[in-house]
Amino acid sequence: MLMGITLAFLSGVLVGLQNIFNSKLGERTNIWITTTLVLGMGFAASFTIGLVVEGGDLFVLKGMQTWYGFSGIIGVVVVVSMVQGIQRLGPTFAVSVMMVSQLGFALLFDTLGWLGLAQIPISPSRVVGLLVVAAGIAIFKTDPGRLRGLKLRGAKQGITNK
Amino acid sequence: MKGIMFALTAGAGIALQGIANARIGQGIGTWQAASMTQLTGFVTSLAILLILGRGGWRRLGEVKPVYRAGGALAALIISANMAAIGAIGATVTVAVVLIAQLMFTFAVDLFGWFSVAGTRIGWTQIAGIGVMVAGILILSL
Repeated sequence: MLMGITLAFLSGVLVGLQNIFNSKLGERTNIWITTTLVLGMGFAASFTIGLVVEGGDLFVLKGMQTWYGFSGIIGVVVVVSMVQGIQRLGPTFAVSVMMVSQLGFALLFDTLGWLGLAQIPISPSRVVGLLVVAAGIAIFKTDPGRLRGLKLRGAKQGITNK
Repeated sequence: MKGIMFALTAGAGIALQGIANARIGQGIGTWQAASMTQLTGFVTSLAILLILGRGGWRRLGEVKPVYRAGGALAALIISANMAAIGAIGATVTVAVVLIAQLMFTFAVDLFGWFSVAGTRIGWTQIAGIGVMVAGILILSL
């Protein structure tokens, strides 16, 4: 349990870091150059680590199924949807909806035991827990400028912008 | 409404991608899976880029090399994510990933790292993180 949570936490921090790097790229290029470069770098890194760790075994694809070769396209669908969502809703709301949607679908996939995932039966505590996390996301995304006088050091820009 | 549908689709896609990666990793191995999904995504994205042919490369050189190489982090992100989903399931993994991501964003804003233009942060963000952590505890009951 603790190992899984630690790995998930590490992964989340790195996602946050990568989002910043990607946005730096996006400021100077466009979304498809950014996406292509990010995925290309991701491939190069995974492939290199794979070669170091596994050597020639990296090319042994025992148990390969055809759909594995297409799953990377999901990432492209995500980029398109995200860009469209942000254009229509603005980043804050779009990202909140996206995060809550991720949670909802993860719960659905766990419950159904989809794609050979260990099935985890739905229970009241899982539903309540998920709703509480979703509420936390909504609170996080609330503009603290409304709570005048409670701002933190780094928020100085926030209120003066208004 | 359309915007909501797009945002929901993006979220569903991210969740689906996580479990697909975990499944493919079990099938052919972690690094094989990470390499394959990134490669197919890269080829698809490159094809779109070439078809659109809009240019936009001119200012790529102005981006710091470390930011240009940021995509490499995905190797670690994907492998850690696969292992986490296998160990604690998709729901708790997604919840913890989101909290870590928001906590990191908060720290970046608070300390002004990476010269990111400050977004609004304050007590609502701390409260939000607290509520999310409570949610994870309830989820893992």
